[in-house]
Order: sequence, then C-alpha cells, then structure tokens
Amino acid sequence: MFEELLEDIAQKNGLREVNAYLKLAAGLGAILLCLLSSSYLSPLFIAIVLTCAILILAKVDAKTYAELFIVPFWFAIMSVAGIILITGGQDIFWQWNILPSFSLSITRESINQGMFVFCRVIGGMSAMIFIALTTPMTDIFIVFRQCRVPEVVIDLMMIIYRTIFILIDQVIQIYQAQVMRLGYSTYSESLHSFATLCGAAFIASWDAGEDLIRAMDARCYDGKFALLGESRPVERIPCLAVVCFLFLSTASVIASGTMTII
Amino acid sequence: MHIMEGFLPWQWCLVWWIIALPCLLLGIYQLKRVLAADRDALPLLGVTGGFIFILSSLKLPSVTGSCSHPTGTGLSTISFGPWITAVVCAIVLLFQSLFLAHGGLSVLGANIVSMGVVGPLAGYAFYRLLRDTSVNIYITVFLVTAMADLFTYITTSLELALAYPAESGGVVSSFLLFLGIFAVTQVPLAIVEGIVLALVFKYIITLKPDILIRLKIFSKEKINAARNEI
Repeated sequence: MFEELLEDIAQKNGLREVNAYLKLAAGLGAILLCLLSSSYLSPLFIAIVLTCAILILAKVDAKTYAELFIVPFWFAIMSVAGIILITGGQDIFWQWNILPSFSLSITRESINQGMFVFCRVIGGMSAMIFIALTTPMTDIFIVFRQCRVPEVVIDLMMIIYRTIFILIDQVIQIYQAQVMRLGYSTYSESLHSFATLCGAAFIASWDAGEDLIRAMDARCYDGKFALLGESRPVERIPCLAVVCFLFLSTASVIASGTMTII
Repeated sequence: MHIMEGFLPWQWCLVWWIIALPCLLLGIYQLKRVLAADRDALPLLGVTGGFIFILSSLKLPSVTGSCSHPTGTGLSTISFGPWITAVVCAIVLLFQSLFLAHGGLSVLGANIVSMGVVGPLAGYAFYRLLRDTSVNIYITVFLVTAMADLFTYITTSLELALAYPAESGGVVSSFLLFLGIFAVTQVPLAIVEGIVLALVFKYIITLKPDILIRLKIFSKEKINAARNEI
C-alpha cells in the first residue's frame, strides 16, 4: 500500500533541477486560480496544461499518473452527485420529497454547480499532484527555512519525515510476516494482528528516533538540523513558461466569467 | 476524512485558515517550551507524527468529497495536549497531500481545524476529566481516541454543510445528511481505533513507561497499577 510514495517519483522527475520557487509558484498559482474561477472552463484548462507538463516535461509514467487520479476521481463523482441532489434551483428536472421538510432535486442550477465543483476538484488535484511529483520534500524544507518558518517546526517536520519512512518499512515487514502466518484470517484475528502491528511499529520507530537523537547529540546537535541545499538558479526558459502559464490561466479565468455548462 | 483539494469555495478556505492559524501559533509556542525543557520528547513527537500519517492514510471511500479513516490523533493529544497536536497534524496533513495526493493545500486550514483542533480538544477534555479519577488507563485512552475521532468527523460534516447547504432545510439538513453518511463508516472505525490505541498504550506501559511519567501524562501510581495488572 505504501510501496511507492509520490516522494520517490519526485526525487527523480524531469523537472528536478528547476528552481523550487518556480514550481511552487506554478502549482500554488494554479490552485488559487482554480478557486477564484467562477466557471468550469478555466480549472479544466489548468488541469490539461499541468497534466501535459507532468507527463511530458517531468516524464512521469502515464499509468502512475492515471492511478493517482482514480481515487480522487471516484470521490469527486460521488460527492458531486450529493451536491447535485441537495442544491436547489428554479428549472427543476426531477424532484423527490422524502420528508415534508427535506427533498432531493435535480435542477439546471444544481447540475451547473456540480459540474463546476467537479472541474475545480480536477484542476486543484492536478495542481497539487504537479507540486507533489516535481518538488521533493527536501526542497520544500529549504523553501520553508528561507520563508522564516520557525526552526522548531522545520525540525519537527524533518523528524516526522524520517519517521514516516522508518514506520513504513516496519509496517510492510511486520504486515507481510503476519499475512504469511495467517494473521488476518478472521476478523478478531486481524484486529489483534493490527494492534500488534501498530504497537511493534511504534516502539521500533521510537527506538530509531532515539538512536537518531543520540547520534546527532554525539555530533553536537544543538536543536537545529543543518540543511544542505543549494538553491538552483532561476533559468530564463522555465521562468518564462511559468509566467506564460499563469498569465494564460488568469486570462481564461477572466474570459470564461460565469459561463455554465447548460 | 480529509476534504479534497478544490472542494471548498475560497471564502470557506479562508475562514478555516483564519481559525486554524492562532491554534497553530499557540502550538508552536508550547512546542518550543516542551523541547526546551525536555529534548528527549523529540523522538516521541516524531513517532506520533508518523503514526498519525500511517493511520490516517488507510482510507475508505465515503460519499462526500472526503473519505473515512482513523485519525490517530488520540496518542498525541494524551502525550502533548491539543495545541502541539495541531502543529503535528498540520505537518502530517501537508505530507499527506504531497506524498499520497490525499487531502489538499487550499483546504489544509479546514482539515487542520477538524483533525488537528476540534478532535484533539474534545479528546483532551475527556483525558483531563478522567486522568485523576480511578478510571483504568486503557479505558481513558480508548475514550480519548474514540472521541477525538468522532468529533473530527462531526466537524468535517459541519465544514461541508456550511459550504454546501441543502436547498430545503439549509445547513442543518445538509449537516445531518453528511453526518449520516459518515456515521456508517466512522462510528465502527472510532471504536476499532480506540481499541487499537489502548493496546498500543499497553505496549508502551510494558516496555517504556518512563517517558509517560516524565511527561506527566499519568501519575506514577496509576502506571504502576496498570503494570501490575499485566
């Protein structure tokens, strides 16, 4: 279940060497524009451009990318169905009065609203996945430090970052061992196995964490991790590309106005 | 049960960020104090963070722009109080959105409020209530975890309902609708999570009780009593 994190892909993607601020500007800008847009068109435009960027520029495997979208896509469809049913409107296509005070209906307005939320989710997701797939967490730590996020928080982030990988290793190992010994054959068995798994993984990674602190103390750790990270230069072509992208997206937000699907 | 990226309109994203920020600042202040007093707390903080990450990554679909999963915040709430938990949760939620495409960046504020502030506060209230009574440690841990979980999901329902009120009945009826959908998966999950964390606590008490005493989480007598039961 955790065999491949987005982080692994991010560490070796095609845009790895581009300045982190540029990638964050593109991703965060896209998220912001998706939220500000009041039409379904511009989030779709943003999604298409960023998907192309991820597939062609960052050279992420199309299958991996599609798999990432399956779960959010599914959630989005179900949630939008809910929104369509509870949102009201003038132009009613279908209505069902379950209770005197509560009714479900499908209207022109609710379909427009649902489609709009759906596209915004797709646009937002693609922007977030763009950041996740192109910018490794280690680069983001450096950005945080330059943005004056308190040292304690960055330290804690790095400890958690490290612990996550230790925990994942532990969990996978113990889980496979438990499965081989039929630890998940019945419900009560699996509840017990799961608790053992959590407890054992917890203690193991706690030990690993203490070892880390002891090792760092031996190397004169004074409550601040040294972060090695050269800021990559802002190159002209990527910079232009980001500016163009943000400009075109803003233009599409303004141009599409409050256009609706039906 | 993180809300998805792009699901809330920007006005609501902003509102939840404004609510989350003071809690985070208070948490950072407390975090500095705890670490200045006791550096050994750092590995425990890291492990609880990793633990929340793993537990809240096990997601099940639920019909509402969001999904159901255990939250794992109970442990951190008991060990460090609700405000530091808010900081740990904020970090974990950021990691989840960037590692697993789970949750979102613009809705991070809303997710911090539900999973990092309201849930832990509810859990902490139970912990304070039960800590000095004669109630068994495991029952306390179970209740704290289950309550943190349930209140998280109630808050998420409220966040969704405020953003998308139903036409008939407004916020209240859409709140009840979201609550009803979540309840199917979340109530059993809260109970299972409570049991699991109580068992994890049993491990800690058997193998490493010293840190619980040093962080003044439970009194020495109570932990010794719990150890003797094992």
